[in-house]
Amino acid sequence: MTTARPTALPASLSPASHPDPDSLEPAFLERADLAALVVALRDDGRAVIGPTVRDGAVILDEITSVDELPVGVRETQAPGHYRLGDGRPDRIFDFTVGPMSPKGWTFPARVPIGTARRTPDGATFSAATPDARPLAFLGVRACELAALDVQDRVLLRGPVADHDYDARRRSALIVSVECTTAATTCFCTSMGTGPEVRDGADLVLTETTAGFVVRTGSERGRDLLARLPVRPATDLERDEAAGGVAEARAAVSANAGVATTGLPGRLGAALDHPRWAEVAERCLTCGNCTLVCPTCFCTSVEQVSDLEGTETTTNRAWASCFSAEFAAVAGGTFRSRPQDRYRQWLTHKFSTWVDQFGTSGCVGCGRCVTWCPVGIDVREELAAIAPPPRQALPVLPIAPSPVPDDAWLRAARVLDSRRETDDVVTMTVAWNDAPRPRPGQFVMIGLPGYPAAPISVSRVHDAAIELTIRAAGPATTALTRLGPGEEVGRRGPLGRGWPVERMVGRDIVIVAGGIGLAPLRPLIDSIAADRLQFGAVRIFLGARTPRDRLFTAELAAWTEAGLLVDETVDRAGADWLGRVGVVTHLFDHSERIPEGTIAAVCGPERMMEATADVLRSRGLTDDRILVTLERHMDCGVGLCGHCQLGRFFVCRDGPVFSLAELGDAFGREGR
Amino acid sequence: MHGGEGHAAGGTATVERDFDITQLTRVEGEGRLRLRLREGRVVEARLNIFEAPRYFEQLVVGRRPDDVLDIVARICGICPVAYQMSAVHAFESAFGVEIDPVVRSLRRLLYCGEWIESHALHVTLLHAPDYLGVESGIALAAIDRPAVERGLALKKTGNQIVALLGGRPIHPVSVKVGGFSRAPRVVELETLKVALDAAVKQSLEIVDWVAGFETPACHEPARLVALRHASDYPMNEGRIVSTDKRIDIANTDWSTTFEERQVEGTNALQSHTRDGQPYQVGPSARITLARDQLHPLAGAALEKTGLADEIRVNPFRSIVARAIELVHAAAEARDIVAGYRPPDAASVPFDPRAGSASWATEAPRGLLFHDYRLDERGRVSWARIVPPTSQNQAAIEAALIGYAPRVLDLPDDEARVRIEQLVRAYDPCISCATHFLDVTVEREP
Amino acid sequence: MPATDRAQDRAMSRPRLGVVKFASCDGCQLTLLDLEDELLPITDRVEIVEFAEATSARSSGPYDLLLVEGSISTPEQAHEIVELRRQTAKLVTIGACATAGGIQALRNVADHDAWRAAIYPEPAWIESLATATPIADHVTVDAELRGCPIAPGQLKEFLVASLVGRRPQLPDEAVCMECKRAGRVCVVVASGEACLGPVTRTGCGALCPAYARGCYACFGPRESANVAGLRQGFVAASLLTEAEVDERFAGFTAMAPAFAPSASAAALSYREGAVVRPSTDKAARPEVDDARR
Repeated sequence: MTTARPTALPASLSPASHPDPDSLEPAFLERADLAALVVALRDDGRAVIGPTVRDGAVILDEITSVDELPVGVRETQAPGHYRLGDGRPDRIFDFTVGPMSPKGWTFPARVPIGTARRTPDGATFSAATPDARPLAFLGVRACELAALDVQDRVLLRGPVADHDYDARRRSALIVSVECTTAATTCFCTSMGTGPEVRDGADLVLTETTAGFVVRTGSERGRDLLARLPVRPATDLERDEAAGGVAEARAAVSANAGVATTGLPGRLGAALDHPRWAEVAERCLTCGNCTLVCPTCFCTSVEQVSDLEGTETTTNRAWASCFSAEFAAVAGGTFRSRPQDRYRQWLTHKFSTWVDQFGTSGCVGCGRCVTWCPVGIDVREELAAIAPPPRQALPVLPIAPSPVPDDAWLRAARVLDSRRETDDVVTMTVAWNDAPRPRPGQFVMIGLPGYPAAPISVSRVHDAAIELTIRAAGPATTALTRLGPGEEVGRRGPLGRGWPVERMVGRDIVIVAGGIGLAPLRPLIDSIAADRLQFGAVRIFLGARTPRDRLFTAELAAWTEAGLLVDETVDRAGADWLGRVGVVTHLFDHSERIPEGTIAAVCGPERMMEATADVLRSRGLTDDRILVTLERHMDCGVGLCGHCQLGRFFVCRDGPVFSLAELGDAFGREGR
Repeated sequence: MHGGEGHAAGGTATVERDFDITQLTRVEGEGRLRLRLREGRVVEARLNIFEAPRYFEQLVVGRRPDDVLDIVARICGICPVAYQMSAVHAFESAFGVEIDPVVRSLRRLLYCGEWIESHALHVTLLHAPDYLGVESGIALAAIDRPAVERGLALKKTGNQIVALLGGRPIHPVSVKVGGFSRAPRVVELETLKVALDAAVKQSLEIVDWVAGFETPACHEPARLVALRHASDYPMNEGRIVSTDKRIDIANTDWSTTFEERQVEGTNALQSHTRDGQPYQVGPSARITLARDQLHPLAGAALEKTGLADEIRVNPFRSIVARAIELVHAAAEARDIVAGYRPPDAASVPFDPRAGSASWATEAPRGLLFHDYRLDERGRVSWARIVPPTSQNQAAIEAALIGYAPRVLDLPDDEARVRIEQLVRAYDPCISCATHFLDVTVEREP
Repeated sequence: MPATDRAQDRAMSRPRLGVVKFASCDGCQLTLLDLEDELLPITDRVEIVEFAEATSARSSGPYDLLLVEGSISTPEQAHEIVELRRQTAKLVTIGACATAGGIQALRNVADHDAWRAAIYPEPAWIESLATATPIADHVTVDAELRGCPIAPGQLKEFLVASLVGRRPQLPDEAVCMECKRAGRVCVVVASGEACLGPVTRTGCGALCPAYARGCYACFGPRESANVAGLRQGFVAASLLTEAEVDERFAGFTAMAPAFAPSASAAALSYREGAVVRPSTDKAARPEVDDARR
């Protein structure tokens, strides 16, 4: 569920302007008058989300009265340990952060994103409407404000904005509280996020012996303050408030922290550290760290169908890179080993997140430390894996493709379907009111009842596209069974395709393994259509058996167009007179590859690795070897997180990459 | 798996007839009924069990009491609460635990949920088809869908009660020695109110429905045994009493008056009184022995049917007894929900100690007795569990011997249906009964 | 294929569904009857040809879909499941007994001869009942629904997906995932309860933590279940001793491979505490004892 990038940020995100010199600020609110704040927020029709004690912790929930707030409660936190205890009498915010964060409301654990219905003559797809109940958060800490900002960057300020998040976030008014205590797990000072509240809150409270020093951070906050029974704070009160926050800062600074300088580069250079395997012996891969994290944003889709299968609602639910299924594609998972999952999480959070979003994914709240059931402390792991500091590695720029986007799937009619092999079908789908896919781009295709799947475009017509689909699972099998006149849901075109303009004037080697020929076919079409613009073009095709060869009727036309086509099969029958062997063997029969050649490769990842090795041995540099990757994708626009690979989202930043861009991420187990 | 069939041996009718129902259906678990009649007399009546034993009495050995509560629930997917209730009260009595009065009422509420769920299932889906000439509740839906939907709605309410208090309707997770692991919030219990109002209405309709069923005439008075409590309809507490007034013992003392024995010709252990007499437990026994303690709505409904006396003597009227108990359970559940205030603590602490722990409660199918020896750590060193179906087995066979000659003139198929209907009138839970057999099962070749 | 043909395809004859059981408590098949709102619509969509608990109508297959409850505890059952497999297109095991052997599988691990001799005067009596094993030890299983009992939502999802023809969504991830999605407080961290959620497959809706107690693994191990890591964590935090950790695994999925080593150790220690035949028992069951002799 996405929408075009918002033109203006929510008011609460705008920098605070200077207060009016005549204003009350900073003001003072007696503790007994805090009730007035809750009443005022509720009078505005807002659901007030605030701290309350339940199940042995300070949690967040909707509160209807100030009486539900904790009084005199402070907690003890340590790795894998949280216990409530007594705080200073009468204090309301004498604890730090509990297991929940505002993420549970701005980015709920499970929301509907769309509904698909089968109709007598096809299918309809409709996007869900976000729950529009306005919210007010009471007691948001500095680290949590920073986390909201991180999620804003991910979900609002990227090329595609999340519609549901946008609606919820925009509605939320934030009353922040500055910490005057610290837990041993806090490291906001390391991450530069607290304990002082800077931007992002509408109202900021700092608790003192008698009440709260109050300042505002937005117009909305000033309006609210005007309705509260406040007076100007005295110097003494201001000093006490500042002193409380300074004490918290001192306490946090004394905790173990994270050496952030150069950390992304250090982590990037430590991908083969033995500690990954060691921490995996302790790590339960339960995913708690990711779900309590206020910035983790990965999701998976779920289908909820009625018994007849006529109506299916698609939900988006929190997911975690610690589950094997998270990186699953037909035939397996990219991260079967727990050590790969831990590395994925830690390197994303502290390293590649910076490349992607310009900020660390960590705000130092310490939740992943406290709520790890076996008490794994990221601070310790980082110190062991990426000890401070060496020189940071250079980072290559990413140029994500512009992503035009529909809110969700839209219906499109199947015009034709023809069988290529026993399990591969090429389907022609009407393509109107959408940009023309460029070679190498893909589309998300869904049917009611099934999750949408990313499918490469295998040919582009004026008002139609071809999709070549292998029946690898139930969803793709259902697609291969569609006939003319039926409808599918489509979204796209998506991703970055082959850089055809970069290939102009150059010799080109195209290497395809099996179904990998599909995304290369539009590239071949482009070259054939404008043949004189390109140098020598060789096409190396590999298939499992002669029966698995694709587009066989077109090979002669390609040859006629002046492209050199060479084929091989892994296993042959008696009637095959061509070459037998893996596709890289074709290079043995080939002349040398001229300098300046660009290679475009697609096939199973192992085949692409082997091909890359051969191409490198023939003198091609990594920036001239282009591959297109397959990953688990639920959204196709860089929001669900499944296809994150190093500093990329494969769907948004790829799927076509040069090996130079991928660097260490290519051919490394578990990435 | 097994086809059931009755056949006449020897080719001529009524000389010798052998009803071999190789798999009883619409009962819980796998059982077999064999009935041989010769010259109009029953020469053999055997209710066999071929459910594989699972050795629960051994599986609980060495375990902590709270683990035992989880384990004994697995004896039966239909009445897990009953097993948890008998066990938890046995342990609390052994450890001298005084539970909070609110916890006491929540446990009654939990039991109400299970009674509703179990009785609604049995009355609507398992037993009513016998009276209406169809093979299943699903077939019944084809001729009277509203009746089946009403039964399912009621069953759902029962399941909701158990799920609200214990997380799920089958094998709930919250019962612990000393109380519950968590007590519900008022707002949570209030979510049941609408469903319980409907449940009272639905169960009253069911009473009218089943009271009107054409019912075989049958007069097989048995000695009825149930708990009787000073003030409440029997569930978790009370003394064990009988209709012939010869039994009146504490519910911890089952063993002084009853015993299990092996009877020639059947593989199952059966309970008798120590003087060798069969007896019957279950809804008909409870209603007969504690009619005055029924919820006023249930008492009035019973009065209206005019069947109180017949329930005592005609097993085929047990379906009415179950319907009356549906009214009682729905009405009592509604009262408990309306008056609920959370307890100060969901559970009270206890000190495990050595000793013996025994207790009987009223499962949907009748008296369920648990008996444990505990070592000095409070762990189980020996266990015996006597479920209602093993207590009813002798009574079922006795009733078959008395009743079967009356169906001799019917064609085989009809006779077989009547005989099965009579067995189902006791709602036998063969899963329960079997899971305590120390004996192996001898299969018919 | 034209759209109209496909529509007819979908409306094709109702699949034949069977429900059978071996050694078990009936709770998993009861879960089908517990889908109160969906039960009648389901029976409109499938033909129930075998379900002894619910219907007197009997059939001997073939089955398009067969739900199998319970573990295999006798040679007859071992024979029967092979025969059922032969008649079945899609065989689905439901519940901990069928998928992992159930709690009764704990008997598999003790020294059988000693165990039986200690408890039974006639050890040969229970010859055929020495083990309780999951269905997959005997025949190929096409899908499994975990849990003790199975979750109604997963059963419904499985049936719906089977009817629609898509892959059922039965996630193989930790209970913790659903626990945190539901906004629950971790009972390990906040209350010191030993919870097996991190190594247990999700599906129940994270019930036990919702009721303020630790998960007891009735859905069995998830993929990558790190039992050793959990043990080390609990012992390091002084929540449990090593022996107590073992006991936690000696439950309803005790013999699932990832849990079996721990559960076996616990099962052996339980036997040591047994009072085999207390003298008062003889008094309570004189005729039984007589019969045994």
